[in-house]
Amino acid sequence: MSSKAPTSQATSSLPPSVFTLPQTAQLEALYTIIRDKNTRRGDFLFYSDRIIRLLVEEGLNHLPVVPKTIETPTGCSYEGVGFEGKICGVSILRAGEAMEAGLREVCRSVRIGKILIQRDEETAQPKLFYSKFPPDIAQRYVLLLDPMLATGGSAMKAIEVLMEHGVPEDRIIFINLISSPEGLNTFCKKYPLVRVITGWIDQGLNEKAYIIPGLGDFGERRYCS
Amino acid sequence: MDVLDNLAEGQRRTESPPLHYDLNIQPKKNTMLVSHGLPPWYEEDGNRITDAFVVAVAGGSASGKTHVARRIVQSLGSIPAVIILSQDSFYRRHSPEEVELAHQNLMDFDHPDAIDMPLFASCLADLKARKQTNIPVYSFAEHQRLEETKYLYGASVIITEGILALHDPALRQLYDLKVFVQCDSDLMLARRIQRDTKERGRHVDGILDQYLRYVKPSYDNFVRPSASHADIIVPGSNNNVAIDLICTHIRRQLVERATRFRQKMAIPRLHMSTPRDTSPEALRIDVLPSTPQLKGIFTILRCKDTSRQDFVFFVDRLSTLVTEFALQHLPYVPATVITPTETPYHGKTLDAQDICGVLILRSGGALTRGVRRVINDIPLGSLLVQSDAKTGEPLLFQVLLPVCVRERHRAENAWVFLLDAQIGTGAAGFMAIRVLLDHGVRQDHIIFVTFLVARGGGVSVIRKAFPDIKIVCAAVDDEMREGWLEGYKGEGNPDGVGRKCWIMQPGMGQIGDRYYL
Repeated sequence: MSSKAPTSQATSSLPPSVFTLPQTAQLEALYTIIRDKNTRRGDFLFYSDRIIRLLVEEGLNHLPVVPKTIETPTGCSYEGVGFEGKICGVSILRAGEAMEAGLREVCRSVRIGKILIQRDEETAQPKLFYSKFPPDIAQRYVLLLDPMLATGGSAMKAIEVLMEHGVPEDRIIFINLISSPEGLNTFCKKYPLVRVITGWIDQGLNEKAYIIPGLGDFGERRYCS
Repeated sequence: MDVLDNLAEGQRRTESPPLHYDLNIQPKKNTMLVSHGLPPWYEEDGNRITDAFVVAVAGGSASGKTHVARRIVQSLGSIPAVIILSQDSFYRRHSPEEVELAHQNLMDFDHPDAIDMPLFASCLADLKARKQTNIPVYSFAEHQRLEETKYLYGASVIITEGILALHDPALRQLYDLKVFVQCDSDLMLARRIQRDTKERGRHVDGILDQYLRYVKPSYDNFVRPSASHADIIVPGSNNNVAIDLICTHIRRQLVERATRFRQKMAIPRLHMSTPRDTSPEALRIDVLPSTPQLKGIFTILRCKDTSRQDFVFFVDRLSTLVTEFALQHLPYVPATVITPTETPYHGKTLDAQDICGVLILRSGGALTRGVRRVINDIPLGSLLVQSDAKTGEPLLFQVLLPVCVRERHRAENAWVFLLDAQIGTGAAGFMAIRVLLDHGVRQDHIIFVTFLVARGGGVSVIRKAFPDIKIVCAAVDDEMREGWLEGYKGEGNPDGVGRKCWIMQPGMGQIGDRYYL
């Protein structure tokens, strides 16, 4: 129960562009598994995929839909909605790639761009090393994928790059599993129109800029450990 | 496994439909024999209305009991789910000394004390009450009861066979018809010598020694006197007339029961139109919160022009969402873990020993991928329930349940996700819930997960009969209307003629067909 306190505090003072998943016991149990340092890689993969799928589903709900009437096989007419607007995913290498499978399970054959951002050892600032996007990215809604929002440095750099490619700020949806309150605040102050879908908001950052309690290095656990 | 094999076999036979075929095969003991689906054995309030019909066949060793039992089974060819339960399965577990004696032919297997009568009676009582049972398996080679057991469920007629079948008062109370096969001692001895020398390679000296030492005294002291409890005594040879009489009696009894109970049988569609409050709240249905994506998914799934690829993809996506939503009903308890940053995290963990899924085939199978995405290693059982082409009543064709449901002590704590594409008339779901309850699964541990519920349909009957089960769905439709279903070749419908059925409005069409065909 005590772990919920910081979360609900953070939730109560969330910027309006931040959306979390319903904080159910079941979601908490999923996070308990992936946070546990003794969880084996197979379980880490499976349970983080489950959370990613829920996050992507939530992110897609921020895309526009238009009214659409169809006829059912039973001969009834049904007032439904149709999906509107093209989308693409953009993953921040390396950890963001881990979220692509989850995205593709929900959005079949969606286009996925990539960005490599690393810390410049001289300036200590995030620096763009590589990017590759679909040519018409400016006409698409972008689901930006990065599992952990710690200081927010690389995410903000990625937004900067996307906007340079002509993607309007309000057409970007940033999806992550865990955010730190400070990273979230910095990010939302700089890009208030970007919608942030986060699974859980943690207590804060430690001296190495790791999220506490967090789950360690997502990419490392997903790919290497 | 034989139960399932035979059920599966029975189903395969429907390819070239022999509805009233003759059981020419020699029915094996302790094996369920099925010639067609099992009709409801419960009424609309969910309670059982018919016990299984139990026939006991007793008589001396080699008197012809098995012959009588098999003839009865053969004559009941069109009766669903018959089992011959053999007394031999219930020999007690032996101590190492007794096993040693048994190998030297110095154990008295003909004495009532050799049989585990209380276990015999409790297994039979369970079967008669339409519950599952797991009967012991006895090895004559090892002269010992084995660790394995044999799962049996779903008999509507049980034939208990054994020399002492009429001896035990507790057993006698469970019988609806008691038969004693009367045979001359010399004839029985002659048959015994013939059988044991031919089939078991034994010497006449040994056979006679055993006969005089154990078989004869047991017959005189226990078996023969138990004939006084019999309703009918059948000669051990030239007994065709007697067997015919017995079979006629049993058939008449079964037909009488069927007509008596048919009126009360739970066919939810008959009770559908009763005006009641059918809001999801009143029916306590948990509906997935509506979102733009969910609405969009349903628009694709409901559209008649959607391609099969799209239909499969969006069904898988929807089943994942609805299963994730359903998992909220499992119990969670606080748990603390240490994260890789060496910080404690006070979270939660699932508090359930056994979790399994049971698919109602065929359309429930459409939820499989979603369930596997959420619980990858979940045991998934299945039930094949089909509507009878003539009466429209549900028939149970196959029962393939996970081990944690087959064993009663585990079933009592297990959580079961019951999966079907929609709850329309509710007839199949109703039957499936009854099967789970028969196995000892708790009502509040059954989570019925489905895409669509018609609130004007059978769900209100299910809710009324089973107030504690959980029902989770992705959307609620308003009504059902009568429609015409293109025929499927199958049980009672060899030409595949169409029939009237209930169609959900607006619905998604035939989900099984659209997903699989």
